[in-house]
Amino acid sequence: MSDKNEDAKAAANQKGGNNPERPKEIENFGGPIGLDIGTTNIVSARARGANIQITKQLNAFFTVPASKITGMTLLKNDVLYFSQNGSFYIIGNAADTFANTFNTDTRRPVESGLLSAKEDEALNVIQSIIKTLVPPPKNQGELVCYSIPGDPIDTKISVLHHDTILKRTLQDMGYTAIAINEGFAVIMSELADESYTGIGISMGGGMCNVCFSYLSVPVFSYSIQKGGDYVDTMVGAAVGESATRIKLIKEKELNLLKEPKNKVETSLSIYYEDLLESLILSIQRVITTSESVPRLSKPISVVLSGGTAMPAGVREKFEKLLKANRLPLQFSSVRMAEDPLNTTAKGALQLAIAEEK
Amino acid sequence: MAVPILVFSVDKTRGSLLLKIIENSGFKAKLFDNSLELEYAVRRRRPPIIVFDTKHYQSRQFKIISAFHSRFQDAELILFADPAEIPSFIAAGIKKECCFSDPINPDEVTLKIREIYFIKNRAFLKIKTYFLLLCSLFEGTRDNPYIVFTKKIIMAIAMALAVVVGIAGGFIFYNMSDLPKVQLLESYVPFESSFLYASDGVELAEFYLERRKFVPFYKIPKHVKNAFIAVEDAHFYEHHGIDFFRTIAAFINNIRAGGAVQGGSTITQQLAKMLFLTPEKSLSRKIKEAAISMQIEGRYKKDEILGFYLNQAYFGARAYGIEAASQTYFGKRTEELNVTDAAMLAALPKAPTDYSPFKNPQKAFARRNLALKSMLDRGFIDAEVYAASAKEPVPEYISRKKYAAPYFVEYIRNVMEQKFGDRLYTAGLRIYTTLDLTLQKKAERAVANGAAALARAGMPGVEAALIAIDLNTGAIRAMVGGTNFQKSQFNRATQAMRQTGSVFKPIVYLTAFKNGYSADSTVDDTEVTYSSKDGGQQWTPHNYSRRFYGRVTLRTALSHSLNAATVALANAIGMDKVIATARSIGVTSNIYPHLPAAIGVSEMTLIELTYAYTTFANGRRFDPMVYEKITDRYNIKVEDNAPKGVQAIDPANVAKMRDVLNAVVTEGTSIAAQSLNRPVYGKTGTTDEYKDAWFIGFDDRLAVGVWVGRDNNRPIGDDMSGSHAALPIWINFMKED
Ligand SMILES: Nc1ncnc2c1ncn2[C@@H]1O[C@H](COP(=O)(O)OP(=O)(O)OP(=O)(O)O)[C@@H](O)[C@H]1O
Ligand SMILES: [Mg+2]
Repeated sequence: MSDKNEDAKAAANQKGGNNPERPKEIENFGGPIGLDIGTTNIVSARARGANIQITKQLNAFFTVPASKITGMTLLKNDVLYFSQNGSFYIIGNAADTFANTFNTDTRRPVESGLLSAKEDEALNVIQSIIKTLVPPPKNQGELVCYSIPGDPIDTKISVLHHDTILKRTLQDMGYTAIAINEGFAVIMSELADESYTGIGISMGGGMCNVCFSYLSVPVFSYSIQKGGDYVDTMVGAAVGESATRIKLIKEKELNLLKEPKNKVETSLSIYYEDLLESLILSIQRVITTSESVPRLSKPISVVLSGGTAMPAGVREKFEKLLKANRLPLQFSSVRMAEDPLNTTAKGALQLAIAEEK
Repeated sequence: MAVPILVFSVDKTRGSLLLKIIENSGFKAKLFDNSLELEYAVRRRRPPIIVFDTKHYQSRQFKIISAFHSRFQDAELILFADPAEIPSFIAAGIKKECCFSDPINPDEVTLKIREIYFIKNRAFLKIKTYFLLLCSLFEGTRDNPYIVFTKKIIMAIAMALAVVVGIAGGFIFYNMSDLPKVQLLESYVPFESSFLYASDGVELAEFYLERRKFVPFYKIPKHVKNAFIAVEDAHFYEHHGIDFFRTIAAFINNIRAGGAVQGGSTITQQLAKMLFLTPEKSLSRKIKEAAISMQIEGRYKKDEILGFYLNQAYFGARAYGIEAASQTYFGKRTEELNVTDAAMLAALPKAPTDYSPFKNPQKAFARRNLALKSMLDRGFIDAEVYAASAKEPVPEYISRKKYAAPYFVEYIRNVMEQKFGDRLYTAGLRIYTTLDLTLQKKAERAVANGAAALARAGMPGVEAALIAIDLNTGAIRAMVGGTNFQKSQFNRATQAMRQTGSVFKPIVYLTAFKNGYSADSTVDDTEVTYSSKDGGQQWTPHNYSRRFYGRVTLRTALSHSLNAATVALANAIGMDKVIATARSIGVTSNIYPHLPAAIGVSEMTLIELTYAYTTFANGRRFDPMVYEKITDRYNIKVEDNAPKGVQAIDPANVAKMRDVLNAVVTEGTSIAAQSLNRPVYGKTGTTDEYKDAWFIGFDDRLAVGVWVGRDNNRPIGDDMSGSHAALPIWINFMKED
């Protein structure tokens, strides 16, 4: 245990360098931190004067056989890694570069929003990546607010295990750790002007998180285990391409407002529609069965965030489907979060700041 | 004062929600999820209000609630419970108006708490009010001679009181933090009726429980505001919610005028009264109103306050709010009111029944002119306008307007109720229907004329129905469900299941075309006896003319409505195929699965058959469409209803259908329709003993179905076939004006 930690720290403490993958060294001004531990990315947010400073790492790793030469090369190039059981674990943004060079996929410590059961080193990897983003606290007991997904509605899986492990990790680092539901983080970040009343949705890689809040009380929150990865996998299988390639195409040029031009685009639009449909059906189901949804006298807003919400037309498609499916709430608008990839971390930071006061 | 409201719920979410709702309206509150702790807190600090949520709380049949209630009479209990359990709580002594059930309604909760809160905190309010009185003294109206005089005297006393005021002021400042906010006025969303519009935008109907419609203050004309100010509160724009000298001035004025022109309270005070408290006349109540008034004044612009008031006031005749009142008394919108109208309305809120122009025209007239006089006195109008307006009569009662298309309105009300439930009556929806009022009038005239003609020919009490559907969109353009809606609301176009007779036959021919036949294919029109599979039943179809025609083309068979030929054809292709065709073009009623169904023994509705004919016309099948879009009260689109046609018949077969249905008019049973001088298509239907007469057909724009018959299913009269009873109505409707 101590051995691994030493290595992780060694990796995390690498300084300077001109490797573009390497995040700039965070100067530690202290103060509360918001942390989004997603399937694809880990994002941290910290207030710096009037601005918010964002740093992030890919939540991924890649293993290569350990050898002296490899170790030297990695060190020289400022690549973050730790060694374990005769392998080097390359973590964070660099993992992607390596995977590309070897023409395979990275491995993920988080799967469908939760700590992977498949990867033995999942916890180690996450801890190492977190340490690259979250410096040791200036004062004992500083606040970190970290995001956790809502309980998935379609399965018996609970987020308790995932939550507890993250909490312990952060506590072991000397922080006071509080959890925030990912959907609620979207509300904290985007709906201040609407008294924190509305629906916040984070559409990530592994899952979509939904939260309905009234006057900052999360009335319900949950997740569905479909997200960007689901779209990639299903489209890949349908058109006989690798999910990685589909992901590239999707992130680069998908526009759901245009007529699809080829079979990849057609399939992408099909699975996007499917994803949005599942999302809206789930909202409908949860609202109608909830005992706590109050009677609203004004229409509320829906905010979309997360990487999967980013392609042009997602907002419009969502709005259209929302109107077509009658829900017992009135909606005034569906809008995109200001900075969709960092919304969760920013919301978590808001809560950390509020809690501190 | 500082004792918080206690909230209890074992459900964490609901508890937090209630807590936030209470805090959001400016009260301090504390949440408990443990009844022991709650009990302890209650004993220690005697809260003014306890909000108790019984959801998931199973302990001892809610004994704790009745215990609280009997032990702490001065703590008011607000309860959330299952509707089924509420009676038992009421029996245990909890006030009915303090019991609520799901969903949690924030407005309701805040309103209740506010009401209780003010009744409970008299002492505090008294101090605050004295302070406010002093404020109005220093900043009050300047040009009033009574005030100037009184002020001088009071100023002296005020000086002496300055020290006291200082202390009181400090105390009040200290308490300000605890004051409820008057946010409710903003979030106050009154019930709003929903409206139905015809396709040209004319209002068809209003669905309402209470007649309320919100007009923002900036849309209320100046002279209307002035009328109310003149009558209710001359110094409205100057005072600070309460007009200390107003009471005295009003008193003296009233003596001089010899009647009560002005009341004692300002518009703001009246608003406070209307919004927060139950009617009650006492000094302490006046003080409470004054305190709330000051808060309203502190928060809103004068015009906003006037707007709130006008939207909230009761004008009699079930009209709440200025807009409903304008409609009720003048049939106008608020923006269209003239000075005379405005004066009449301003005269009403004081005593809506007494001064009702409908009930007491003379009193109303005098009262209105008094209001005009006040406007003149304040310089809001000049002598000329006054003289002219004072001569105008007061409005007379106009009987509630009848809906232009009552059957259609009821039909759509059903559709919308299923969609929206009670929200239909309160949410202020705007439903833009597909009804074409010009066509609707024509349809009503055609049906009325048809029924009248039958009555003149010695057949009274015959009913008729008509429906017109747009071929391109499937939208219903006109609907008449009977001859007299007042007498019978039963909609014969959509609800009556009647035997179809020969109007069903085209479905058999369509099936034939789909199976390779053409209009020129032939079939035998001869006497054939069919027996059921087990041979138990025998049936020989005959023609209407009681003779057979031998080998005939399909065109001839349909245009002359030959039964024997049609049955032979159905027999050749198989009834299951005919039924499948019927389903594919939208027929949903049960169809008798044997040969007699080919000549129409099954019962169907006019609307479903007319939609089937819509499909014949251009191949596309539509679901009934009655509205184009729905918007909410903010004019945000709730739903867009684009036509959704599905290709159900291929173009070649559509052409064949048009050929044979046109032959019905050019050479068959409906030659009378040639008088229209343009290509039309259709089919008659007549059932046994002339119980039902049908004609359904189309031109290049509309599919139109007409049914004639009696509700008790007795014969219409001798020789009342489709072409004699129904076709004339159809032609009448299709005629170009
Ligand atoms: N521009 C883009 N267009 C389409 N998809 C994108 C874009 N950018 C990122 N994505 C997709 O968004 C997903 C990652 O989004 P995000 O970083 O919000 O997820 P996460 O928070 O890591 O995951 P989760 O919230 O599910 O745990 C990936 O599936 C990625 O393919
Ligand atoms: Mg995420």
